[in-house]
Amino acid sequence: MIDVDNAGPNSFVLLQVGERRFALPAGNVAELAPPLRLHQFPHTSPLVAGVIVRRGHIVPVYDAGLVLESKVPSVHRFYLVARREFSDATELSAIPVNGECELATGEVQPCSSEKPSYISGKLTVGDETLDVLDFEKLVTYQGAGGSEPPAEEARR
Amino acid sequence: MKFAVQDGNKTRPQRRAEQVILFIVANQMFAIAAESVQEIRSTDSLGGAAVELEQAELPKVRHTFERGHRTYFIVNAGMHFGLPVTRPTLVLVLRQLRAAVLVDRIERMAEIPAVFSLPRAFTGKERDWYRGLAYIDDQVIPVIRPNGFLAREEFQRLDRAMETAASHRELEGAVQA
Repeated sequence: MIDVDNAGPNSFVLLQVGERRFALPAGNVAELAPPLRLHQFPHTSPLVAGVIVRRGHIVPVYDAGLVLESKVPSVHRFYLVARREFSDATELSAIPVNGECELATGEVQPCSSEKPSYISGKLTVGDETLDVLDFEKLVTYQGAGGSEPPAEEARR
Repeated sequence: MKFAVQDGNKTRPQRRAEQVILFIVANQMFAIAAESVQEIRSTDSLGGAAVELEQAELPKVRHTFERGHRTYFIVNAGMHFGLPVTRPTLVLVLRQLRAAVLVDRIERMAEIPAVFSLPRAFTGKERDWYRGLAYIDDQVIPVIRPNGFLAREEFQRLDRAMETAASHRELEGAVQA
C-alpha cells in the first residue's frame, strides 16, 4: 500500500484513461478502488456516469473519458477516487481508469495555453511527458465553447 | 496498487429507518416512502374515472381523475424521468398532493435504514426528483421526493389548462344549444 497521506506537493499519481496517460496531484487522491458495480439511475447531470459504493460511502463516478476522448474499457475498469472540495464539505468522487497507476515525483512545468483548462501543466517522468490533470476542472468541464458535453435528456 | 484511504466523507445518511415501496419503471427501481402513498390502483380500475387532459405543455400529464371534489393529475413516471416508453399497469395515488403516478409494477415493500444525501456531483433535475439514495440488497436506489413529480408552477399550468378546456366545453355547449 502506498500512503498518499505522506505524499509531498511534488508527488503525482500516474494513471491511464483508455489509451492515454495522465498525472494527477497525489494530494487529491484518496484511493484506487478495484472494479466495482456501477449503479445507474436517471439523472440529467453532465458527465456523471453513476455511483459506486466504497467503504460505506456512495461515490459519484464521472465519465472522464468523454472529456479526455479516451474511453476506459469496461473489463479492466478500476476507479480512481479523489476528493472534491466544496465550500462547506469535501466529497469523494471517482473516475474510471485502466488500473495501472504509479506514484511519481517531479516538478510541474507550465503547458501551452492552447491546452484545455483541465490540464494544469506537464510532468516529465523518465522519458515520458504527461499532462497534469486538474481534477476539479476536469469533472466540471463544459467544453471549449462553454457548452455542456453531449448528454441525453436523462442518463442512466 | 492501493492507496491509503483518507476518509473525506460526505454523503452522510439521515439515520431514520423508514418503510418504502419499491417500484419499477422501465426496468429501473425507485423507492418512495410508504407514508407518501395514499393508494395503489391498477390502471384498469382507474380507466373509467380518468379524463383525458388536452394540453401540450407537460406531455408527462395526459389524464386527470376526480376524488373528493379535487382533480388529481396523473404523471407518467417514465416520461418524468426520461426513461423509455413502457406500458404502466399501476397508479400510485400520492398523499397530500393532487398527483398520481403511473408505474410499471411494484417490486415489494422494504425498510431502509437510512437515506444518503444525493452527492453534489448531481446538479440537474434529479435534485428535485430525489430525496436521496438508499442502499438495499447491494443496490443503490433513488428515493423519490413526491412533490418533485409536479412543481408548484406545473400545477398552476395544469390548472390553467383545465380551466381553458372547461371554458371551451362551455362555449361548445352554448353554440350547440
